[in-house]
Amino acid sequence: MTDELELLKRDWKKKGTDLPQLSYDEIHKMIWKKSSSIVKWILIISILEFTLPQLLIFVPSVGDVMKIYDHIGVSNYLFVLSLIIYAVALYYIFQFYRRFKEISVLDNSKNLMRKIIKTRKTVKHYIIFSLSMIMVTIIIMLIGVYLNEDITQIVPELKESLEKVPPDKLRTTLMLTIGIFGLVFTLCMGGVYFLLYGLLLRKLNKNYAELRQLEF
Amino acid sequence: MNKELEHKFVSELQDNQNIVHKVCTLYTNDRDSHNDLFQEITIQLFKAYPKFRGEAKFSTWMYRVALNTAITLYRKSKKRVDTQDYESVIFKIKADEYDETEEQQLKLMYKAVRQLGDIDKALVFLYLEDKDYTEISETLGISEVNARVKMNRIKTKLKTILNP
Repeated sequence: MTDELELLKRDWKKKGTDLPQLSYDEIHKMIWKKSSSIVKWILIISILEFTLPQLLIFVPSVGDVMKIYDHIGVSNYLFVLSLIIYAVALYYIFQFYRRFKEISVLDNSKNLMRKIIKTRKTVKHYIIFSLSMIMVTIIIMLIGVYLNEDITQIVPELKESLEKVPPDKLRTTLMLTIGIFGLVFTLCMGGVYFLLYGLLLRKLNKNYAELRQLEF
Repeated sequence: MNKELEHKFVSELQDNQNIVHKVCTLYTNDRDSHNDLFQEITIQLFKAYPKFRGEAKFSTWMYRVALNTAITLYRKSKKRVDTQDYESVIFKIKADEYDETEEQQLKLMYKAVRQLGDIDKALVFLYLEDKDYTEISETLGISEVNARVKMNRIKTKLKTILNP
């Protein structure tokens, strides 16, 4: 076998003449092309993940939801919660930036992979945090509905028709709707996210595992 | 980046482009992917070039960036085109230089190497490029002992692929 590898090595060295040769201009054109490396994808996806949830606030229907929070009487709690969420998000953005800066193609392969995974993990933790905060919001809303004495107030436009329904039944229906909607929404977001994350880093994770396995 | 540096980079890469082409032939299966990977490696090299500052030989520095791009940064395109045509173009084995058995053997060897995983290919590539185990271990970030162990395993693996 060793002989065969040596034979391959001899042949390999002669390969130069068979390989394509690019001209100065061809190479020069390439240096200004856009990179499509996974590091770049990670940056784009992460920025989206950090900004999209914030942008949701500007969607008009979300404004209506704010009114509903008000009617349920939980807007104060949710305000405090959103302050905490912003503080934590800022912390994660800072962490992400710091780790992203550390990624260098000049590192050895193992370090490069480790740093990419670490950077990605920061975003992963942020996503897990965000998803749990959605759940906390839902729980606060459920408690609000449960403790609210006049739930027909929640959607004033529908007050008349809501008054026809027995209050207990209305309360249960509302709580179930919020609960199920919240759960499905969170699960969908989580599902999409982890699928994307998994697909993007599948190759990298496999190679990193192989290099790490060597060191044990 | 100024024009002078840009010119220096392109000229140096042009002189050493065989290294990048060899990496591309190992890690891709068709001409389009080859060009795609070549381009990505060029971009990564160019981005890292200001940090290079001639501390090592240009070619030494290229190995690391090229392999890192192929193993880690580059996202393979999904389509897997039949490799047969591509192989015969890239790995043109000259019949007049070898006797028939040797040629056959080489063809099988190349095919076997291309079936290896990304990390294994990197080791074989550096080995074929006459790099010692110190350089192999530094490029991949593993210990020298483990690089040797891994290389021996690859030899066994190749043997199994060649004589199933």
